[in-house]
This record gives sequence, structure tokens and C-alpha cells, in this order.
Amino acid sequence: MEKEKKNTFNTPEGYFDSFHERLMDKIEDGEIKEAEASIPKSDGFSIPKGYFNSFDQKVMDKVYQKTVKVIELKSYKKFYYGAAAIAAIFIMIFGITWNNEPKVDFADLASAEIDSYFDTTDFGLSSYEIAEIIEVEELEINDILETALDKENILDYLNENVDDIEDLNLEYDDYE
Amino acid sequence: MVAEEALVKELKQKDSQAKAFEVLVNTYKERLYWHIRRIVLNHDDADDVLQNTFIKVYKNIDGFKGDSKLYSWIYRIATNEALTFLKRKSKKLGVSDEGLKTALVENLQSDVYFEGDEIQLKLQKALATLPDKQKLVFTMKYFQEMKYEEISEVLETSVGALKASYHLAVKKIETYLKSD
Repeated sequence: MEKEKKNTFNTPEGYFDSFHERLMDKIEDGEIKEAEASIPKSDGFSIPKGYFNSFDQKVMDKVYQKTVKVIELKSYKKFYYGAAAIAAIFIMIFGITWNNEPKVDFADLASAEIDSYFDTTDFGLSSYEIAEIIEVEELEINDILETALDKENILDYLNENVDDIEDLNLEYDDYE
Repeated sequence: MVAEEALVKELKQKDSQAKAFEVLVNTYKERLYWHIRRIVLNHDDADDVLQNTFIKVYKNIDGFKGDSKLYSWIYRIATNEALTFLKRKSKKLGVSDEGLKTALVENLQSDVYFEGDEIQLKLQKALATLPDKQKLVFTMKYFQEMKYEEISEVLETSVGALKASYHLAVKKIETYLKSD
């Protein structure tokens, strides 16, 4: 039997295993480059002249909060004592009246008032910050909804409203 | 490029903090400004958010553990600040997030700091239709020319997912720009 001709050439390890993937990447890159060609290279935004030069000082002032010199209004000083005396009398009178009334505590607040406080107050928390406070593991979706949701409703909603599955932040295992 | 480790060390020490903070502001102000501007669109809003970003960095530097790079930590703060700013704005104006995005793009036509032509305005309209994350990935890659690895650290998303997001965004923008 004729001895098989030995191939003297070599390839990097795993070259053929990843060939298909690299080929597809290249094809896709070509398509993307073509699409990118139709998108403007700059977005047209501009800034006021010298903005970046003055920015440093502005932010330093804010961070270190320069102390502002307070000018004392001496001419009004004599009135302060009179005003303080009148205020003290009022505080005494009201203090005595208030002490006779029962104390109001948290339990006395109507839930409508609490709801309206939460509705109208801007807590300045991002959803990430809220997520850090609330322990999600202990929370069921139906705990925070007035009408219970079933699986079918959720799937219908996702079907209609989510274009990009990535928005769901699923781990790969979750939708495998 | 500033040596990050040394800078962080100086930022945490009281005697070197002021000087180090100046270096930090100088190093990142322009990049962060453009990152924020492309999210909030308006210059005055971008200025506010940029200042708040640096104030937050200053106040929280002691909590920076160095698990990620300094620039990605700062970028993350800037991104969150800008997105939160838009959320607050839409709440204050009583409009939906989408409604606000549309209004912001409409306002560009009379904005003295927007010198874009018709196609650049159309690009902004196209960007307003994208989900937040896709828009972020697109602007960071296309305009800020960041590497996928860098974007991955900022957005804490895998490079593969970022590539898919970017491709999708480019395709959607192309379709929008070619439509009438």
C-alpha cells in the first residue's frame, strides 16, 4: 500500500473550529460598514465658546463651596430683642395649649395622606437605587399590584411591548 | 493618560485631594460632557448633569474600591445621572419618557448649540426611537469611538451582547434614515 503523503503545512490550534464563526463575523462586519456609511459622521452639537476653560473653576467652586462673607445688619439689632421677646411669649402660650392636646403619631395618619405624600414627593431615587433598598428576593410581583397577574398576561404584555429580548436582562440560561 | 491608581490614592488623601480632583476634572470633563450631551441633548442640561457627576465622584471617592477602572466608574455615574435627570424631567413635565425624547429632539431645531443639518436632525429622531441601552451602545461606539471592552465595563454587559445591540441599532438607524 502506498504510503500517505504527509502534509508538511500546519495551522494554528483550533483554526478550523472557529473558522465558521470568524467568517460570519466578517460578513456581518461588511454589512455593518455598509449601513454605517449612510449615518453622518458628526451629530451637529456645539458648545458655547470657552465652555471647557471655565468649567473647572465652576465645578471646584461648587465642590468646595466657597464661604460667603456675611454683612451684619447692625441697624436692625435693637428690633431683634423686641421680636425675640414677642416670639418667646407666643411660644409659651402655644406650648401650653399644645401640651394639653393628645399627641399625633404615625398610626394616626390616614393611608390616603401617606399615598399622596409618596405620589407628590420626588425622592430623587433612580430605579437602581430603589432596587438596592428593596429586597427583591422577598418580593412577589403580586405584592405590589392591585390586580393579580397571571403568566398569560405577562407573556401577552412582553409579546406586544418588548422589541429587543436584551431589554429583559435575562441570563442566557433563562431563555435557553 | 493619567495613572489611575496613583490618582485614586491622591484623591483619597486629604492633603493631595484638591490637586488630584483638578486633574480628574481636567482629564475627563470633555469625554464625559459629550457622553452626557448625547443623552440629554441640551447644552444647559448637559452642563448641570456634568457638574453633578463630578460632585458625586468627589463625595463618593472613598467608596470607590477599585474593582473596576476609575474611568468606567465615573462613566457609570455620568450615565445614571443623565438617565435619572431625564426621568425627573419627564415626571416634572407630566409626560411619558417617549414624549420627552420626542420633545427634546423637536427643541433642537431652535437650539443655538445645535448646528446640525436635516440629516443630522433625522439621525437624532432615529436615535430617539431606540431603547435607551441600544442608543447608549451606539453613541459610545460610533461617536465616542470606545472599544467594546471599554463599553462592556461601563454598562456591565458582555461584549457579545454589545455587538448584537450595536448591529441592531445601526440597522434600525439606516432604515430610519432611508425612509421618507
